[in-house]
Amino acid sequence: MSELIKLENVTAGYNNGIVLRNVSLTVSDRDFIGVIGPNGGGKTTLIKLVLGLVKPISGTIQRFDNQEGNFIGYLPQQSHIDRKFPITVRDIVLSGLMSAGSPMNRYSSHDKKQALELLGQMGIHHLANRTAGELSGGQLQRVFICRALISTPKLLILDEPNTFVDNRFEHEMYELLQEFNKQMAILIISHDVGTISYFVKTIACVNTYLHYHPSNIITEEQLAGYNCPLQIITHGDVPHTVLQKHDQSHDLEHVHTHQHSHTHE
Amino acid sequence: MTKAMIWNMFTPTNIHIPTNNMAGILSFDFVIHAIEAAFLASITCGFIGAYIVARRMVFISGGITHASFGGIGLGYFLGINPIFGAAIFSILSAFGIRLVSKQTDIREDSAIGILWSFGMAVGIIFIYLTPGYAPNLMSYLFGSILTVTLADLTMMGILAAVTIAVFLFFYRTILFISFDEEYARSHNAPVETFNYLMLTLVALVIVINIRVAGIILVISYLTIPQSTANLFVNDLKKIIFLSVIISFSGSCIGLLISYYWNIPSGATIIFVFVLIFILARAIVYLHNRKQRNGSVADI
Repeated sequence: MSELIKLENVTAGYNNGIVLRNVSLTVSDRDFIGVIGPNGGGKTTLIKLVLGLVKPISGTIQRFDNQEGNFIGYLPQQSHIDRKFPITVRDIVLSGLMSAGSPMNRYSSHDKKQALELLGQMGIHHLANRTAGELSGGQLQRVFICRALISTPKLLILDEPNTFVDNRFEHEMYELLQEFNKQMAILIISHDVGTISYFVKTIACVNTYLHYHPSNIITEEQLAGYNCPLQIITHGDVPHTVLQKHDQSHDLEHVHTHQHSHTHE
Repeated sequence: MTKAMIWNMFTPTNIHIPTNNMAGILSFDFVIHAIEAAFLASITCGFIGAYIVARRMVFISGGITHASFGGIGLGYFLGINPIFGAAIFSILSAFGIRLVSKQTDIREDSAIGILWSFGMAVGIIFIYLTPGYAPNLMSYLFGSILTVTLADLTMMGILAAVTIAVFLFFYRTILFISFDEEYARSHNAPVETFNYLMLTLVALVIVINIRVAGIILVISYLTIPQSTANLFVNDLKKIIFLSVIISFSGSCIGLLISYYWNIPSGATIIFVFVLIFILARAIVYLHNRKQRNGSVADI
């Protein structure tokens, strides 16, 4: 398996202090890494380092980028988007092709066809000429996934993809991601440890320091050892979403523990 | 000669002029120039206003507009063309607002408020210090589309050509950066270069159109036609196209009304813009209601 991104002893932060210390992480082809950790622990900063949006204070970041076009596909959190901005769905998807050297580029009919095909794969072909404001949260999330995929990236990065999505699409989305994982590495941030541990291959716990856990089965004791104060709702190979449907009492308990873990964070 | 004097000279005693006098209006050079100025203003403001409205930059544009008054005052004081002073002040204040809000802990809207009033204050002080009377001051505050010169028209024409060229070549990049700046950055798109390029263009368009609409009224050219267009279409390039049309037709109707009723042209044009907006909003409302009722009847 070839390496895509290699962070070595990276320390990073902003004006008000260090957020990540001595972080090392290697992302290789077909990896599926879940990034978990408490709020403010540095999950988003880690992703911004990988994307090149934040420069490290010390340490090195290597990108083994020998591909034309965009090597990373990125699905940001939706919260910063202006939903009333006058842009069509087709244009949002095409914006995934923009790059440093092509401010004047117009898109070919091939690009436009590809955008429509991707929308078709997501089942929202009919929304191509709509604008962002006319879509539901789940539909918009699919559009952003298309935007991340149109450059056929080697690495797909998702920042809290389940925040604005209904439960039905959440499950569907994880299945789609497993499908994409056959062609690309995936790095996914989530606060929902139980759910992602069912889908990812390995886990990175980020709380100022990064602890890499080379399997998807992780216990609360291990998390505590990693200094990653999170509660796990379900363990290992038990699919969390299925449990929710069958066991009403567990469902209530789930809500309760979830709230608890939020206050804890 | 003030605008009012020109109007009075040519205003017929009988207000109910037969429509065949239309050709009569057009035989005046200053009317032709006014229509040309309205056309060029509609182009520059149509494009840049759509950008401003889409990016929610209306308040910063108001700040740039008023800050440029400082440059007008400085121009008078130094005896140079006030428009050049205004251009320098507007670009510096546009960049200043951005830099201050990005690199210090002063928030953007506060920075705008400070520069907005500071520019006006500087302008008033310099005009007060300038010996003699500043005769065209009112035309900078309220605009005077009827007294535009060939030199004004040339500058407006060049700026219109530059604006069209920038959008023609870089439309996609402008659109994508405006929609999601952070995403554009993650793709190494030249975000800062374009932000400053567009900010420069915003400042220049404002300054050039102060001549036509005035400091107090120029924001209307940048927002009302665009908001009207946005009622019907929801794609940036369609908003640009439609707001140029709305802006030009509104200006012509406004000019005509101000000619026949002998009222100030700038204010009349804005009044017409708002009437068109209200009319459009009513049409959209009635259309939607009809559709809703229709769908209820179907059930």
